[in-house]
Amino acid sequence: MKQRITYIVHNADDFNPNQLEIKAASIKLNKVKAAKEQRVTFGLSELPGELRKALEQWHELHIRWASERPYTAIPPFTSLMSPGLHVFFTPQKDVSEGPLCTLLQAFFGSDLRCEDPKKAFTQLPILSERFSMSATSQYYAYLPSLSYLVESIRNNICVSLPGKASCPLLAARLLSATYVDMDYDAISHALVINAFWNKPISAGGWNEHIELIGKDDAIEIGVLNHEPNPDPEDIAFSGFLTVLGEDTAPKPTRFQTPTRHYPMSSSLTYKASFSHPTGLHPTLVLSLPVKELKPPNSSCKLHAHLTFPSYLFIDKYQFSDPLFLSSHNLISLRSLSGATDLEAPDWVIPAWGSAALFQLAVPTSSELKFGIEGSDWNATIPVHLRYLPATDASHTSVPIPWPVLFWACRAEEGTKMAVNPFDRLHLGYEALFGPKTRFMHIPPEPTGNGTGALVEWIDVPVLDLRKTGWVEGGTVGVVVLAFAWLCWVLFGKGFGSGGAKKGVEKGKKMQ
Amino acid sequence: MALSSFFRSSRNVFSAAILLRAVFLVYGHFQDAFSPMKYTDIDYYVFTDAARFISRGKSPYARDTYRYTPLLAWFIYPTTWPGFWFSFGKVLFAIGDIVAGWMMFRILRTYQKMPQEQALKFASIWLLNPMVATISTRGSSEGLLGVIVIALLWAVLSKRAELAGVLLGFAVHFKIYPFIYATSIVWWLDGSRLGQKKTTRPEISSGLATQIRQFANRDRIVLTIYSLATFMGLNLAMFSIYGVPFVEHSYLYHVIRSDHRHNFSPYNTLLYLNASPKDSGIASSSLRLERLAFLPQILLSTVMIPLALAKKDLPSTMLAQTFAFVTFNKVCTSQYFLWYMMFLPFYLPSSTLLRSHSIGITSLVLWIVGQVAWLQQGYQLEFLGRSTFVSGLWLSSIFFFLVNVGILSVIIRDVKEKDNIAADLPAASKKVRK
Repeated sequence: MKQRITYIVHNADDFNPNQLEIKAASIKLNKVKAAKEQRVTFGLSELPGELRKALEQWHELHIRWASERPYTAIPPFTSLMSPGLHVFFTPQKDVSEGPLCTLLQAFFGSDLRCEDPKKAFTQLPILSERFSMSATSQYYAYLPSLSYLVESIRNNICVSLPGKASCPLLAARLLSATYVDMDYDAISHALVINAFWNKPISAGGWNEHIELIGKDDAIEIGVLNHEPNPDPEDIAFSGFLTVLGEDTAPKPTRFQTPTRHYPMSSSLTYKASFSHPTGLHPTLVLSLPVKELKPPNSSCKLHAHLTFPSYLFIDKYQFSDPLFLSSHNLISLRSLSGATDLEAPDWVIPAWGSAALFQLAVPTSSELKFGIEGSDWNATIPVHLRYLPATDASHTSVPIPWPVLFWACRAEEGTKMAVNPFDRLHLGYEALFGPKTRFMHIPPEPTGNGTGALVEWIDVPVLDLRKTGWVEGGTVGVVVLAFAWLCWVLFGKGFGSGGAKKGVEKGKKMQ
Repeated sequence: MALSSFFRSSRNVFSAAILLRAVFLVYGHFQDAFSPMKYTDIDYYVFTDAARFISRGKSPYARDTYRYTPLLAWFIYPTTWPGFWFSFGKVLFAIGDIVAGWMMFRILRTYQKMPQEQALKFASIWLLNPMVATISTRGSSEGLLGVIVIALLWAVLSKRAELAGVLLGFAVHFKIYPFIYATSIVWWLDGSRLGQKKTTRPEISSGLATQIRQFANRDRIVLTIYSLATFMGLNLAMFSIYGVPFVEHSYLYHVIRSDHRHNFSPYNTLLYLNASPKDSGIASSSLRLERLAFLPQILLSTVMIPLALAKKDLPSTMLAQTFAFVTFNKVCTSQYFLWYMMFLPFYLPSSTLLRSHSIGITSLVLWIVGQVAWLQQGYQLEFLGRSTFVSGLWLSSIFFFLVNVGILSVIIRDVKEKDNIAADLPAASKKVRK
């Protein structure tokens, strides 16, 4: 087991090396106010047999979980995703997916809608052929908390890890993580779990005691400060690195690296909401302040990547008309994949849902100039709801995660981005762009939907089972009576065969 | 009066009908060009997308929700050419409207012996109807169906059994539901209409074989063979080119579709209720009687109404059949109303609905009120998000269903009252002649 723990201090002035206490095979941190990334790498042989067997039959698996709490991103951890559980997966050629759904349910929640990976997962579109790093299929589920995962790790993993008394405690920390990544691929034969906390768990800062336990273990700890103004496409850090068991004092370091997800300097934020009433055809409104909506440079295009659970869908044919697009402040629907059936009710859709990438329009220079301070630029995306199962209520409330918004800009150093030790891949949208693309994320408004969550809840009208007692009998009764009545009208004696009238008609005929 | 002199000239009426559609077409062109709200029907984009797929050598079923015969996409192939050609389909559908209207006029003149002015007035129910003109110029294919079905009626009345067979086979291939007309047409084509002596009564004693031989007269056999050959020929041709997707989207889809979305049908709420998955704990008490919904519908529209009425008045029987088919259907949207509207010019002249103002106006008002009530509930659901499935939508669809059943019984009674030969002059015509 290898670990790399990185702290990015929030304020360089708040930190001095005395807060680090290094002993032979351990380190103690004192009130370090920082964001933290903990990356744990397991060799396959270190994993419980069942999990190992499952992983061995796959080509690659990337799990991304993001909290629904908004946070201030800090370089190099600037990449963003829609909140919830994302899974990106590539099976081995000609080998079945195996118990992928079963394992996801065992670790993340038994109620995940995933029966058959072939049906629950959807094909990931690849617009950029050369970008070969992408997985082939995708899955998503709204998952506000990792409590189920923490329990499963305690019960299934911790017990089989030899001599890891700290395991349950470490697992519990995932509950407060900002995001958690899990990666496996057949080439590295290793499972990497990467958790990120944007701020210390306790208010005073990180107070931690980290030590080497197993003889094959390795732990590297970095406490870094983000340095502004390096070369235009790079980010730079200075600070201290310590390899436990090797170093007796923190080693000063300074480095810079190109980065795929570049920090943005403006204070631009966005807000997502649905215009009310939502009905069966809600409109998603993405609002950004007009005054600040300037591309960081001329190559940057504003994009929104949306993750829609199956009860919501986009009609791609609506977005082919330029007038329609411009009336919604959209440029184009760049990509749409997944469950896009335009008619089916939710209960016949086995797939998780659909993902869409839109390019959004930005204000023209005159709109920027004359835009009123504080007024919003709204890009709107009309979507449609599927029918949901009848239930004992008039409405069913469903969550829709906020999309991510970013500028996609041209990067000169595309191929070098992978050298960034903090490079984060498999977020669902990189494969829709060329390799020489730099993403500059627009952070969501810190208040989120009003309750501090990056998720919108929609009340979907459904058939209310408390009121349907008469429906079956009533419908059948009315139809049967109507049918009987019409039979009588058609064949009944004395109905409509008025003799007088008949006589008149006969008379007429004889004329 | 200017209005009354207007209807004296067929040139006036048809010019107005053409002008009406031309104005709508041009207006629609401008609305499409300048507004994000499109005049053009969503279906028209489906057809034209499908035509574009065809022009690239692909299957029309590559377009989602294309549920029609590939022939439709072929008909509007020129819409794939640049510029104004995009509207070719709408022009074609509008021409179909006009031709259908012309045939209605000819049928009224020739087979209902109606004076010109009156025939033009009744044909105008179709020709000058803004709803009909809107539907075809927005690019819905129902207009094309109208011309096929009216041509079928005309071919039958003029005793062109071969042509009638071809048109029937084609109509069923095109839209399935016209199969209901097969029984009424076959029943109507009896010996008396083929110039043979009218000898119904004295032959009761003759044997079964004789009866069968008499029933299977030349026209009936010709119609059956030609319609089956056309229908199967077209299906085989389409299947050989477009394979399983053709069968799947043109036919199977209509059989297996769940129709859970709200529509005018009385079955709608029940279908949603029973299609919806239940919590596994609750045992389903439903008998799923909606699976038998086709029974009253098919019995009425293909067996009982034709047998009781076809020999009296074929066009009005076809109206009653269509009315029954649409009213008892598991799914019903307003485009289906066009299916029976095309027969109104033949039925209305001698109908109770026109003769008795109280019945006529009450029927019309109730028919409209039924739709308005439903639409109001539908609006609340669709745009305001209120859960109006029960009672609102359900009750209004049941109400609308009962109104339709009431109107249908008036139609049936009117046709039933007619004598076997449908050549009586409409009551209204006498007034005009004075």
